[in-house]
Amino acid sequence: MSSSSIALRAEPLQWPRKIVALLPGVVLLVLVGMVGKVLEKSIAAYTKAHHIVFPNIEYVLWAIVVGLLISNTVGVPAWFRPGVATYEFWLKTGIVLLGARFLLGDVLKLGSVSLVLVLIELALSIAFMTLLGRIFKLSPKLTSLLAVGSSICGVSAIIATKGAIDADDEDASFAIAAILALGALALFTFPPIGHWLGMSDHMYGLWAGTGVDNTAEAVAAGALYSDAAAKIAVLAKTTRNAMIGFVVLGYALYWAAREGRQAVGSKAAFLWQKFPKFVLGFLLISLLASLSVFSKDQIGSLANLSRWAFLLTFAGVGLRINFREMKKQGLRPFIVGALGEIVIAAITLGLVLGASKLVKL
Amino acid sequence: MADQTNNGTNKKPRTLSLDAWAVAIALLLAALVRLGVLKHVAW
Repeated sequence: MSSSSIALRAEPLQWPRKIVALLPGVVLLVLVGMVGKVLEKSIAAYTKAHHIVFPNIEYVLWAIVVGLLISNTVGVPAWFRPGVATYEFWLKTGIVLLGARFLLGDVLKLGSVSLVLVLIELALSIAFMTLLGRIFKLSPKLTSLLAVGSSICGVSAIIATKGAIDADDEDASFAIAAILALGALALFTFPPIGHWLGMSDHMYGLWAGTGVDNTAEAVAAGALYSDAAAKIAVLAKTTRNAMIGFVVLGYALYWAAREGRQAVGSKAAFLWQKFPKFVLGFLLISLLASLSVFSKDQIGSLANLSRWAFLLTFAGVGLRINFREMKKQGLRPFIVGALGEIVIAAITLGLVLGASKLVKL
Repeated sequence: MADQTNNGTNKKPRTLSLDAWAVAIALLLAALVRLGVLKHVAW
């Protein structure tokens, strides 16, 4: 049989094959997430039955820890990886569905507070990361990628900027590794700091949404604190994500001018291309909920569907963390990223505490 | 959002982006809940 006839025959099978290829990884996400849920309930029931004082560890942390253990011990076999990578799809689906829990008026009110904080955070983060990159003599494009990754939305922003400024694959993987390592660290540091400072769900959610880089980790950091904090973290992070087009456009224009290349064509088309469309889905569902399209029970069902989608996301976050891979990327970008993240976390914490004095949070 | 990095130099067949898929599936689920096909989703 000739290769062309194989190709022709293979064409109609492409979609079923793609779906079959995703199945093992998706099943793994479900299993890891369910283990997280079962562990939370079993440990809570056991400690209660035996009168043991033990803090309730949420399924979010268990799902991440179980995923992390798998990834760093037996590893994730290649045939699971396409399905595991769907965690970003589940994250976005969960965020859109979460829109049902927000009335549009609340979105505009909270969104405007978040927007002000995000704009200040963006300016300070980009300036600080650029300065750090120069002090540590990182390549200018790697510095740009780290600045974008830590100021807006982690991996997505780095990938979008990489294409726009024509950066090397190596620089992009350095920046992504640093952002992922620091996002993982934030999961274990943000909640205790929030509790230590006695932050309200609202204040903590705003901090997680503006201070943690990658969307999945920001949502997880919020959910580790409380359900209400996760809701606010999603809104703040979504506001931050909506800024991606403007920042990437700024960098594209800067690098085009610096390298004497032609800048992007239509700026409006560029902004639309980079705009995260799931934000529109979130606003649409929020609008429908505000117009009372859904009953109270139906909103409860949509919120639960969103929780299921996030459960798969948290499992994926753990399964994606691989310390050996991160170690291969070297220390310098990680140190720059870590220093930047600590300062950005402090800046965003200061902004949220400051805003809480001006606006009721 | 890796799908958004295509600068137009390498033409690929038009497919839905990850964001579009996420919105489409979320809207489909919302419609199923609204129409009563999914009556109660437990957690």
